[in-house]
Amino acid sequence: MNTALTWVRQDMRRVIAALVGIVLAVLMLPPLWILLQDSVTTTNAIGDVTGFTAGHFAKLFTDKDALRSIWNSLVFAGGSTVLSLTVGGILAWLVERTNAPFKILAYLATIVSLGTPYILHVIAWLFLLGKVGPLNDIYRAITGGTDSLFNVNSMAGMILIEGFLWSPLVFLLLGSTFRAANADMEEAARMSGATVLQTLRRVSLPLAMPAILALALFVFIRAIGGFEVPALVGMPGRIYVLTTDVYEATIVVPPDLGYAAAFSVVMVLIVAVLLYFYSRLSKNAEKYHSVTSKGFRPRPFDLGKGRWIAGAMIVANFCVVLLLPMITLLWMALLPFLRGFSLAALPMLSLKNFRTVFTAPGYVELATNSLLVAAAAATFIMAITALAGWIAARRGPGGWALDQLATLSLVFPGICLGVAVMEVYLRVPLPIYGSLWIIAIAYVIRFMPYGMRYVYSGVLQLHHELEEAAGVAGASSLTTLRRIVAPLLSPAIVAGWLFIFLVANKELAIAVLLASPGSQVIAVSIFDQWVNGQGGELAAFGLIWTVLMTAIACVFFVQGRRGGTDVFGN
Amino acid sequence: MLTVRDLTKIYTNRFDTQAGGVREASFDLPDGTFFTLLGPSGCGKTTTLRCVAGLERPDQGVIAVGDRVLFDGPKGIAVPLNERGIGMVFQSYAIWPHMTVFENIAFPLRVAKGRTPPREDIKRDVEQALSTVGLSGYGDRPATRLSGGQQQRVALARAIVHRPRLLLLDEPLSNLDAALREEMRIELRRLQQQIGVTTIYVTHDQSEALAMSDRIAVMEKGRIVQMGDPREIYFRPANVFVASFIGAANLLTGVCAEGVAPGAEGVVQMADGAAIPCLFPAGGTAGQPVTVSVRPESIALVSEGAVLRGEVTAVSFLGGSARYDVLVGDIVVRVVGGAERMVASGTSVGLSFPGSSAVVVG
Repeated sequence: MNTALTWVRQDMRRVIAALVGIVLAVLMLPPLWILLQDSVTTTNAIGDVTGFTAGHFAKLFTDKDALRSIWNSLVFAGGSTVLSLTVGGILAWLVERTNAPFKILAYLATIVSLGTPYILHVIAWLFLLGKVGPLNDIYRAITGGTDSLFNVNSMAGMILIEGFLWSPLVFLLLGSTFRAANADMEEAARMSGATVLQTLRRVSLPLAMPAILALALFVFIRAIGGFEVPALVGMPGRIYVLTTDVYEATIVVPPDLGYAAAFSVVMVLIVAVLLYFYSRLSKNAEKYHSVTSKGFRPRPFDLGKGRWIAGAMIVANFCVVLLLPMITLLWMALLPFLRGFSLAALPMLSLKNFRTVFTAPGYVELATNSLLVAAAAATFIMAITALAGWIAARRGPGGWALDQLATLSLVFPGICLGVAVMEVYLRVPLPIYGSLWIIAIAYVIRFMPYGMRYVYSGVLQLHHELEEAAGVAGASSLTTLRRIVAPLLSPAIVAGWLFIFLVANKELAIAVLLASPGSQVIAVSIFDQWVNGQGGELAAFGLIWTVLMTAIACVFFVQGRRGGTDVFGN
Repeated sequence: MLTVRDLTKIYTNRFDTQAGGVREASFDLPDGTFFTLLGPSGCGKTTTLRCVAGLERPDQGVIAVGDRVLFDGPKGIAVPLNERGIGMVFQSYAIWPHMTVFENIAFPLRVAKGRTPPREDIKRDVEQALSTVGLSGYGDRPATRLSGGQQQRVALARAIVHRPRLLLLDEPLSNLDAALREEMRIELRRLQQQIGVTTIYVTHDQSEALAMSDRIAVMEKGRIVQMGDPREIYFRPANVFVASFIGAANLLTGVCAEGVAPGAEGVVQMADGAAIPCLFPAGGTAGQPVTVSVRPESIALVSEGAVLRGEVTAVSFLGGSARYDVLVGDIVVRVVGGAERMVASGTSVGLSFPGSSAVVVG
């Protein structure tokens, strides 16, 4: 007894690692297992396995529609990756490395988009580019015809909207790459006689290329798993991608879960392969880190008269990404029913929708539910990853396994994880299915890798001698964790919490299959309302929600800047 | 010939109230001069260098190489940095990791304005630069596989390959370890003399500055406070700041005993009554309070003919020399002397120095 106690005291880390490992395994492994199982078995009405089959996959690979969905997914993800990298990349370079004016607008657009549910943006753009929207209105006014210039429910429309959806993230991530870049490299090229363009082409771009490629892969992975745009823009135009196929197979009666699972397995495989290349690319990007000088502030490129063109580009981006969507939402919120921008509609403007949001039952409860679920998930994740990330970063007992377990869910597109979690907790004999708990659990699984990443990079920034000094001073590993590591790590933990809280409140795909009438969250409710045609109330509620989330996004952004850590913990 | 006139560039920093930068710096450098800007961090030396390079735009002033004006505030001339034809070595070396050593060095030739020189010329010039810095045969190496010292040499080769009229070195030795730094100090000076290029060197290390330079400008709070050759700077510091920044200095205070002509020797009366001989570079009037700087190695421990008397309170044996702290009245005077015969702590000693070694600095 005594010796056992001594052993525990001596190596508390082993005990912590084992406990954390069990929690992670219980959370992360069943969804993957159930997907694999479902994809190769047949089940009866109550979900018991009745036999093995290759039928789901056979159907998938012989069905013309399924093959077309795979192709559509690749085109959709590829196109929006190229678009978002071009827009976000140019913007990031202009803002971080040149003397272009109006930089603040780029940050403003990014912060607000951090807090806005994707689905609100999608709805706003659907209206802007849609049949009754201003783009086609203007076209008709010019031509005098009744045709539309642009059909938004097309692959082009999907790529356009998804591309602009991701460009703020690209801006943030590439921005930090450009900001961290050693400005001496560019100045050395200029001193060697190179012009701005020569420097950009021969030094800046090649140096940023590993980071750009890694980011491209990252956006591609996210776009493959994207649900909002395919569901709202693609499905009405009968353009299906993998995620919408999974969704359809799940909501038909009776649900074809085997088929959905087979689809999910295909997506998980694609994502897993891409993730492998992504991690190799990211490692490659680190190779380019060089000796940095002792901080002379980087001097931005002088664009000369070109800075006004650059400024115009920043303003244009601000309009497209933030101003126009927000004006659109406001317009929708002030009108009793959806119609195009026109002077004739002005007398109908009223605050009725906003009043409804504050007085009608349901909205307040909805908001509370969403905040509660997101906060609970973020808190749980940060508690677990603070331990797991510390052990993994310090190569403690089982560190590698903990890291793998915690980041396992990266391979799941949101909709696939939704299917898997639903399947798992249908079979668990606890009253979880149909409650808010199931959404919270799905969030925990989904966002665990983010928490891990924040803690991991946070620990790496702490010199290991800080902990060793505590050990030498006589502290046990628990005391070291509590008195030394936790306080020093708190900025990373707070940043991770805020980030998870924000993305959880934006997420639609994961919750859309798990929410039930009594347990709704924001994004799902907006989705339902849009499908039901309640545009006005939706927009009013969405705007209020956006203001709230933007305030939190500001805190997050300031915290990230002050802590000196990368906003996304990369 | 490099001419810098009234160069001014002022930063107002958001985080502290003290504005950084450089104010009204002027100097003329004959061709082939090794010129060092020396001072503590934040004194404006790097800003001065970056203004000459064209990396910063000065608020005012004139910069010219020979008869070619690079910057002229009043006339609104500002040659872009890539057309100045200046070579520069950065503190971080800024070796481009995506190119080989050869490509790094060839870069200035390839981007040169006008036509690109033929392949053979580039090859010849790069190889010559490589051999000048002692890296012949390293051309095919990826730039990521170089030691710190080698990176430094590549950076230097890249800076001189297009035969600039001016070479700028921004603390190039600060990222090397001590032994390598000593070696590169000699190497850099040899190379500079071999090529004969006018060089501006920025450092906060006074021994580097003294060992390498033809001329040194000591900067404090954005201004050049003294300019001269290394011996002048060391033995005739112009003020208290220069005296204490360059090497160790004993600062003694007293009053001028009688009127002294500029550049002549006179006598300073200290508070305890002792009279010390010293040089008055700017002259002095009777009763004027002054501070005198005496270098520790200029002072001898003597038993007779002492200028000051005191008691040894600490002794350190340094191998080639010995260091004493001598308590004179209520101040501690540092003395460095021969180590063959040492004086024990607690001994009463006399201190002596010639008037020419004691300088009035303020």
